[in-house]
Amino acid sequence: MSALGGAAAGGEGINPMGSAIGIVVLIIAVAITAIMAPAALGAIIGVIIGGLLIGFGVHFVPVGGAPAAMGQAPGIATGVAMLAAGAGLAGLFGGAWAAANPAFGIAIVIAAGAVGGGLMMAITCLMVNIIYVFGMGIPSASGKVDKDPITGDSQPEYKSQGTEGHGLPFISYVGGVIGGLLGGAGGTLIYYELLQVYSAALPALFNAEAAEVLPVAVSLAGIFAIGMFLVNAVLAAYNITGTIEGPHDPKFKRFPRAIIGCAVASAVCGLFAILIVVV
Amino acid sequence: MSVQITASEGGIPHDTLMAVGLIGSIVCLYLTYLNGATGTDVFSFFGGLAAVFALIWGTDTIKHLCSYGIGTGVPSAGMIAFGTGVIAMLLATQFDGMYLAPIMAVVIGAIVGFVAGFLANNVMNMNIPVMIRSLTEMAIIGAIVIMGLTAVMAGGFGFDALSVTMVQILGPLEATSYASSLLGGCLIAVAFMLGGIALQHPFNACLGPGEQQDRTLMLAAECGFLSMIVVAAISFAFVSMFAAVISLIVAIAGWYYTYAKYIELSRRDAYAWLNAKPILEPKGEA
Repeated sequence: MSALGGAAAGGEGINPMGSAIGIVVLIIAVAITAIMAPAALGAIIGVIIGGLLIGFGVHFVPVGGAPAAMGQAPGIATGVAMLAAGAGLAGLFGGAWAAANPAFGIAIVIAAGAVGGGLMMAITCLMVNIIYVFGMGIPSASGKVDKDPITGDSQPEYKSQGTEGHGLPFISYVGGVIGGLLGGAGGTLIYYELLQVYSAALPALFNAEAAEVLPVAVSLAGIFAIGMFLVNAVLAAYNITGTIEGPHDPKFKRFPRAIIGCAVASAVCGLFAILIVVV
Repeated sequence: MSVQITASEGGIPHDTLMAVGLIGSIVCLYLTYLNGATGTDVFSFFGGLAAVFALIWGTDTIKHLCSYGIGTGVPSAGMIAFGTGVIAMLLATQFDGMYLAPIMAVVIGAIVGFVAGFLANNVMNMNIPVMIRSLTEMAIIGAIVIMGLTAVMAGGFGFDALSVTMVQILGPLEATSYASSLLGGCLIAVAFMLGGIALQHPFNACLGPGEQQDRTLMLAAECGFLSMIVVAAISFAFVSMFAAVISLIVAIAGWYYTYAKYIELSRRDAYAWLNAKPILEPKGEA
């Protein structure tokens, strides 16, 4: 492979050796947490599930990159990581708002995060289609399937020659919203679990009132959640290698690899994030 | 599908740049400890210089990685660098008491980056020869840049110092405040995004035919100083007025020099690309 301008890698199938090593790393990270911070064992499992949700959710998000900007591919004209980060951070706002209210339990917090992420994706998909259809004058058509799996509408008649489809077909729109829901829920779960750890440990660490150190706990949990969100989103983007239409795209079948990868990455990042209150 | 990315060959070898970037940034981070030794905070600006060193190194790493068609665009590489880097940097601040924070940022960054690189290469089947090494380097770079920018803002990078500030009430009375500290105000997120943009922008802006290493790296330094201007402005809230003014002057002077150099190099490459001669400004006649 040349060092310059090589083709995008990322074939099909699971690498058994790499996945096995990854799962061993995950178990080691959980074991270290269990020994050094037994109270945070539940939190690291929550963080792993959160990362896994993000990695899975990213595969639903329709991304077209530069070809979509030129109307040559369905999807939103930006990178997977950027879009997933947008949905996740929007979800985090919703989740953080709900987490600040002590009356709300974990279910409501995560639901609020999911709604935030899903809403962001729904608005983005809507505006993208308005620009495509009314601004650029191109109909939405998928290049990967003949019939839209949800509406049953025929696609090839609307697809321009030489393109992979264009606009944002209904299935991609629905996929985007599902991706936003999962991403927002995953990011919020990471934030919520870390917030529990920090708000329990920081008052003792600083010898201060819980309410006084709450801003530090919120800030730490927030920045760690953002960091882990980006790690998971980029790893999932590497799995997709560029563009994806949504759940009907053949690339979607690669998601098991991303789930393994994101779970391992979240376990290692989560371990370090929890160690900050232990060392 | 991937977009072919053309990058120049030759120039300063990557290993040399890595050595200069790593040693330069660690030395600069340690120079900020002069703040504690002398009891002032005028040496905060060394943090910004550490960030600039690391950004120059990081831009070359991104160029190295993204010259393979990774298919996700250059910005995603910058995002994972800072996602892993912020985790390493925050844990490293806990080792500040033993003067180990910069070293620990490198060590923890290397661990997190190696794991991310291994997962990308062996679980996601990217199979890119420089993937593991590049993501390891970039996690270290992310950690160093955030640590450097934090040092400019707060005058240091100890976890306790970042979490607590003394606020004056009615003049002589002082009270501890967690909410108005660097972490409590989540200014770390500002350092995160300023560093992230400065890392991912230069190669993204310069890639393509006619990309030249010296021009790309000059843009990296320019972006670093630009980020430093912003954190120097924020530092007025945390360090003494004198120290903040020094940081601001260093940042503006560095930015002006690198910006002028970058424009000069851009013109040089534009002439070379067009195979044209510089247009001479007419003199004398009005």
